[in-house]
Amino acid sequence: MLRESLRDVGEIKKALLERLFAAHGRTLQAFLYRRVHHHADATDLAQEVYVRMLRVRDPDTIRDMEAYLFTVASNLAKEHAAREGRRGLAVEVEDGTVLEELSEPAGFDAQIDVAHQVQRLREVLRQLPPRWHAAVVMQYVQGLSQQQIGDQLGVSPRTVKKYLAQALGRCRRRMARLG
Amino acid sequence: MNTSEERVRELIAAQAGEWFMAHRAGPLEAGERRAFYAWLAASPAHVEEYLGVALISRQLPAAADDPNMPLESLLDRVREENVTAFEGVAPSPLAGDRKHRMPVWGWAAVPAALAVIGTALLWWSGLQTKAEHYATRHGEQITQRLADSSVIRLDTDSAVTVRYDRTQRLVEVERGRAFFEVSHDSGRPFRVLAGYAEARDVGTKFDVYRQSDSTVVTVVEGQVVVGLAPGQPGAAAAAGRTVPVRAGERLQVSQGSLPATATPADTRRSTAWLRREIVFEQEPLAIVAAEFNRYGATPIVIETPDLRSLQISGVFYADDPETFVAFLRSLDGVKVEVTRTSIRVSRM
Repeated sequence: MLRESLRDVGEIKKALLERLFAAHGRTLQAFLYRRVHHHADATDLAQEVYVRMLRVRDPDTIRDMEAYLFTVASNLAKEHAAREGRRGLAVEVEDGTVLEELSEPAGFDAQIDVAHQVQRLREVLRQLPPRWHAAVVMQYVQGLSQQQIGDQLGVSPRTVKKYLAQALGRCRRRMARLG
Repeated sequence: MNTSEERVRELIAAQAGEWFMAHRAGPLEAGERRAFYAWLAASPAHVEEYLGVALISRQLPAAADDPNMPLESLLDRVREENVTAFEGVAPSPLAGDRKHRMPVWGWAAVPAALAVIGTALLWWSGLQTKAEHYATRHGEQITQRLADSSVIRLDTDSAVTVRYDRTQRLVEVERGRAFFEVSHDSGRPFRVLAGYAEARDVGTKFDVYRQSDSTVVTVVEGQVVVGLAPGQPGAAAAAGRTVPVRAGERLQVSQGSLPATATPADTRRSTAWLRREIVFEQEPLAIVAAEFNRYGATPIVIETPDLRSLQISGVFYADDPETFVAFLRSLDGVKVEVTRTSIRVSRM
């Protein structure tokens, strides 16, 4: 009974998080990946998120630190975008639409950029150990559970989780290095 | 970003991946929530890597759906590698009491391991006995590959002498701290003398920390045996008695005293110096500051005496005192003044 309700909470949280990421993810993505020649921006953003997080006197009052992190990061990214807009850096974008463009990068440019990122991430995936790569495909494309993935690979669900964690970390660094 | 910085980043990104996966498994418990906060609070780099990993996860459904890389062919490759790996690894001579553990980077390491054995054989033919001395200055760390492909990493203010011959590989830790990745050679044991202690091994990873009043041996992978060093007080009485120390265990040897058994160790913590990370869990501020001062150019001075015993937790980078200062400033009632010659910590 208890386990049942716990799982419900988990499901609800997952749904919330997906919505949260749907709302903020694009802004963050635009911020962290689109403007390659402004690499320092991503580091600055993380610094600011960090400092704000430390200012919270009692972290126990924040029930979901991860959601807090995404929200703060996204808000800061928007502020940065607005500041840059004022400074006139985003000259190619018409006045007044800067914010929308950055928070909703649905334009032609953004689409090319997303396709480019996906292509690069594919190449990075191909360089992973095959078992990590296979675990990623089964999790993210086929939506299999970690138990099911473990059965396919002949390892425990815990090991599957480890593969996925390592794959995420490795992909992140390779993509960051590619700039 | 240079290679060692990138290596640190890779470790942080891997930790970020673990935390991200932990979040996907459902709500964190109170203890995990605190640990996650502490991890984030340790450095802005942790925040950056976490956000970065989250973004990768968002892009993966599209990227992993790669028509040129069907799952079946991936699974075939996994199966092939399993077969090669089992054929490629010779049974360990110690297989009876010790499992041969593959390193985390997995099966791809097998050709590398074979190459290491090849190098060791080549080296064997041109054998010579010569003492090599390695030392680090204050704030310096070095990594040294030895003739048999074993690797020694030296912490700040440390020194070792290496003597290899036909029958043994002998390393003396004269001062400080060293981490050993010993390449396998059952014919020639790898001996480490450090103060009161002697550790013996044929192929594993372990950390030896020689302090003024004791020596601590912590094993990360495999197993070593530890005894009193020859010529040390009590060594004769101990009559060659040794204590096994397995992966995830530590043993502290003081003058004339060899404990009966090893105790569980936080290996992440004891090897944190390899990443120039300083890890503390509920440690007094005075000790944390002293540890920082071992590396840093600007000394941390605690001006209010009762702050010396303030218990703090966190992961900091030795070469990034700014993060530590930011952390101190976030503590209730603590004031930090940074001048060119010192970092002064006092009560507000």
